[in-house]
Amino acid sequence: MDDKQNANPTILSLSDLPSRRRESNVRRRDDGGTGLFDGLIPQYSYLNDPFEQPLSSSDSDDDSVEDIDEQEVYDLISSISDPEHPLSLGSLAVVNLPDIHIQPPSSPHSSISTVVVEITPTITHCSLATVIGLGVRTRLEQALPPRFRVDVRIKKGTHSTDEAVNKQLGDKERVAAALENGTLMGVLRKMLSTCE
Amino acid sequence: MASPPPAPAPRHAPTHTIRALATLTPPSNSRTWQTAPHPSQPIVATACSDRSVRVYSLTSFTLLHSITGGHKRSVRSVSWKPHVQGQDVLATGSFDASAGIWRRAQHRLEREITSSTGVDDDDEEDDDEYQFACILDGHESEIKSLSWSPSGQYLATCSRDKSVWIWEELEEDNFETVAVLQEHDGDVKCVAWHPEEDMLVSASYDDTVRLYREDADDWVQVACITGHTKTVWWAEFEGSGMAKRDFRAKRLASVQQEQDSYIEELEKSGPRLATCSDDISIRIWRRKPREGAHSANDGMPSIIRSAAVDEDWYEEAVLPQAHERAVYSVSWSRRTGMIVSAGSDGKIIVYKERWKVGSGVQTEANGDTAVPDADAPLTEWVVVAELFSAHDVFEINHVVWAERADKGKREGEEVILSTGDDGEVRVWVLDEQGVEEETKKEEDASM
Repeated sequence: MDDKQNANPTILSLSDLPSRRRESNVRRRDDGGTGLFDGLIPQYSYLNDPFEQPLSSSDSDDDSVEDIDEQEVYDLISSISDPEHPLSLGSLAVVNLPDIHIQPPSSPHSSISTVVVEITPTITHCSLATVIGLGVRTRLEQALPPRFRVDVRIKKGTHSTDEAVNKQLGDKERVAAALENGTLMGVLRKMLSTCE
Repeated sequence: MASPPPAPAPRHAPTHTIRALATLTPPSNSRTWQTAPHPSQPIVATACSDRSVRVYSLTSFTLLHSITGGHKRSVRSVSWKPHVQGQDVLATGSFDASAGIWRRAQHRLEREITSSTGVDDDDEEDDDEYQFACILDGHESEIKSLSWSPSGQYLATCSRDKSVWIWEELEEDNFETVAVLQEHDGDVKCVAWHPEEDMLVSASYDDTVRLYREDADDWVQVACITGHTKTVWWAEFEGSGMAKRDFRAKRLASVQQEQDSYIEELEKSGPRLATCSDDISIRIWRRKPREGAHSANDGMPSIIRSAAVDEDWYEEAVLPQAHERAVYSVSWSRRTGMIVSAGSDGKIIVYKERWKVGSGVQTEANGDTAVPDADAPLTEWVVVAELFSAHDVFEINHVVWAERADKGKREGEEVILSTGDDGEVRVWVLDEQGVEEETKKEEDASM
């Protein structure tokens, strides 16, 4: 990556980032495997993973609906690395706590919540916006319980082709196919390697 | 987002219950995309993201065959070739950009006969499995959908490469590309055939739906349907000869004439088209019957005929909105005319078309003066059944009607098959509830 699209991004200091990490009890895959993407479709594979059965009391209320708030979502994605800088999406202000919204189930018959994340690319014509968005969506689909629908969008007015990128990020079939692409998976794996 | 106009009559009239009958076992342990019922046998094929196809029995609800080793990526779509004697022929479309053709002899009975007469069946094991027959290469990226034409003559495939290909099987395993249609500006998500004519429909990421037919040896686009505001995920034609079937419930004596002429017009239009979209809507499209039809093949120069081949499809109805997220699949019952839909919100919804009672809410129960104004549609679609969390919290990628085949079946009964991100294919029956009440209401209305 000699030809960086944004060679001098604004970097926030770590201490300025919103944090409540110690209280986070979001489930993470921890099976001693090689990484996040052991399977082709990693987001649901943990359901059948015997190691995921709660062995300790900390996860004993898995079946009840956990409260997951915006801060926890932020914690899951702010540590993702930018594909062209050795910096996190949080410190580059690509992901920001006020741009994360959780919508509760729309009816008492439904248990499906929606997480909406608006990302702010560092520059308006950043062609890596799609890759960053894919990383955020993949990270959340992998880490959040499956009752969450994840909508990742480019924050309005921050990107020249935001509608096209949003359409692509919202298309589950395209996302599924992208995750079967070896080259792209390599990039994503690197981005997400800092999330553990 | 386009939302249907407010309806005067109640659009949610739950008269049916969707009841779980079975889950096909064992399920896949990763996402399943689509399930295709066999055209004549009680079996289904399911396209799986683990690169395999699973063939299940609708009699026992168990796995019969697992077709593996063919595709390098997810299998996205499956389609059974209709009207094949003596064997089952399956086409598979994959994210690896190829389509595969698989064959298996239908020889269970024969084998019993041959083995009883002492003829040895050396390769019995192999014979019993689906054999890879040939591969169709040509698309540049993921195949999203494929479909055999009702006669079995053509196979249509579509891809992220924005193209639709039509293949013709000249002789067994010898396929020729008869058309490469590149009208769409985005991924082509779905292809499907008209039940009576050699007409193909495709739905796309470019928000449009396009129709094609053969004209002077060339396949050409004959209509482009716009109306959806986001990706169109699925398109399916109504069954053949459904216009006349009186599933719209009791006629009202006062408007009998209008209803008769409505059906007559609908027959001229032919089977309608249902589409569903990321914009959450489901729309019904109908062909405008051509003035003085049947004039196609009278030796006119092709340059004139090309214009004559264009068709006018218009939006007849928007189904009542019951989904909250993208609608991925819609299926039209060949038996009852009902429509079932499913999608990202995990719901299964069943809709029914019925005669509108009078011209609005003012109609009294004795409705004797109910004469609808000329332009108002005579029928309306209502939600007759709604099921939440049909696959727990998971998305539903596909839903389709199939003939019920297990022991508990009633005459001519259908089941709904839903295919989900949880790797499961679930089987549902539609029970009618409060039959007496409903009948009474309609009788009252028609008196």
